[in-house]
Amino acid sequence: MLTIRIGNLTFASPVLTASGTFGYGDEVSDLVNVDLLGGIVTKSVTLHPREGNPPPRISETQFGMLNSIGLANVGVEKFCKEKLPKFKKMDTHVFVNIAGYAIGDYVETLERIEVEDSTISGYEINVSCPNVKKGGMQFGVDPKLTEQLTRALRDKTDKVLILKLSPNVTKIEDIAQAAVAGGADMISAINTVVGMGIDIATRRPSLNTVFGGLSGPAIKPIALANVHKIYKSVSVPIIGIGGISSAKDVIEFMLAGADLVQVGTSNFINPAIGINIISELKSYCEKENIKSLHDIKGTLEYQ
Amino acid sequence: MRNELATIESNEQISSIYQQMVLSAPLIAKDCHPGQFINILPDSKWTHVMRRPMSIASQSNGKISIIYKVVGEGTSILKNLKPCDSLDIIGPLGNYWTDFDTDYPVLLAGGVGIAPILYLHDHLVIKKIPHHLIMGTRTKDEHFFKDKTNDSIVLTTDDGSYGIRGSVINALDSIVSGKNSPIRFFACGPSPMLNAVNRFATDQNINCYLALETLMACGFGICQGCAIETTNNSTISQTYRNQYALVCADGPIFDGKDIPLC
Repeated sequence: MLTIRIGNLTFASPVLTASGTFGYGDEVSDLVNVDLLGGIVTKSVTLHPREGNPPPRISETQFGMLNSIGLANVGVEKFCKEKLPKFKKMDTHVFVNIAGYAIGDYVETLERIEVEDSTISGYEINVSCPNVKKGGMQFGVDPKLTEQLTRALRDKTDKVLILKLSPNVTKIEDIAQAAVAGGADMISAINTVVGMGIDIATRRPSLNTVFGGLSGPAIKPIALANVHKIYKSVSVPIIGIGGISSAKDVIEFMLAGADLVQVGTSNFINPAIGINIISELKSYCEKENIKSLHDIKGTLEYQ
Repeated sequence: MRNELATIESNEQISSIYQQMVLSAPLIAKDCHPGQFINILPDSKWTHVMRRPMSIASQSNGKISIIYKVVGEGTSILKNLKPCDSLDIIGPLGNYWTDFDTDYPVLLAGGVGIAPILYLHDHLVIKKIPHHLIMGTRTKDEHFFKDKTNDSIVLTTDDGSYGIRGSVINALDSIVSGKNSPIRFFACGPSPMLNAVNRFATDQNINCYLALETLMACGFGICQGCAIETTNNSTISQTYRNQYALVCADGPIFDGKDIPLC
């Protein structure tokens, strides 16, 4: 009923967990049986270990939060030694999220993981990072760079390649088309929305880096709009992300054109929320007499 | 770490501004230690994206408690909860205080920072380990420990309306100078107080372990939002972090030597 088939992959349900909100899956094993999820996306991995940004790194906003973690992570070497082997025990799809500061960083990180004998299903590429060789402009705001990056990675792997797009662009359709032209198998959207908070008592920004990424239910309408725009412009499968915290949210994203979804910020309130949503989806399908949930993809009705 | 639906046993005002809530939470109570915390979902309709972390203030017979003061939406909801209501909590989280046997323990609490210190005090009493407890508040009516004072429990007030006038630091000199054997500080409270305690400890070459507080999203190391700056990494569990530590996963207890003085 909830099974989604995409290419060679079969997802037990359309609900995955989003990068940076579920660690590497093993930290939450006390609270959640990850095998019940459609899949997990790891925290971003970079070529070298990263300390992350100075505090404060997070701040609460109405129906959301701002973050500026700075891709703090163990680096690909330690990731391959300590995290990758743990995925073998998980009976769910694992996608490794990769971030970088030059095309070479991304390629080297992916190649390092490719030489390992692993059970991962593929990669999700974070293009919301500044490109140091292009004066800090993000990869994901430029169609040419997005296509170049995608093609460079496509050449190095036969595993599923997902490009995670940023909403902080003028026309997300152009970026999605560039990713597909470069050989992306799927698009996931959206990453966080650029935001800022201010503490009037101290007259300081609420994050050390001034600007950060807004996530949570506050961004769901932005995410839905972007997913629908992408759906209208490319034919590859889409993973909807942005403020999902209920089965109703998942249905909305699927109607807008998503095949799968990722639950992000809501994991902080309830690490088992993905699993709760999956059982809610089952009840929804039974009640609405839906034989295959995947059939509702893109069935949004309007003139 | 468990996600437990706790049952409220009692929820009472214990002084002019502090509330204590006792929760029946057998799974968490079984595994918790002084210094650890729980992450609270104030109610099922909570529209914020973060839980509210709070130190465990006591533990016995399947029950734990928290001590809080009403400052915002979350604590306002908590105040209105009644016995038999349930509360969704995750815990026990974080590291905890250890090593009470070698040095003489001096426990220092400022304001609502009394919560984990009270749990540690109970623990030391049960283990029959002699120690001092110094608790500071702004005024007399904020204190809830007035009937329990003795030679080793000292209260201070900022305005001098009860006990020693000033902060907990003002009570330290006589205790520290009277001891010939090594002492060790265990402290929790507002940042300026912890900084003063840490500075005192550094000047007098005293071991000092601080329980810190920050904004947190997940509470167990995933979001990496609760980072603080550290001067060295002796208490940091994940070796790739040298400059920053996570209060939730590497702490909340830190060796004062790792925390920069300001």
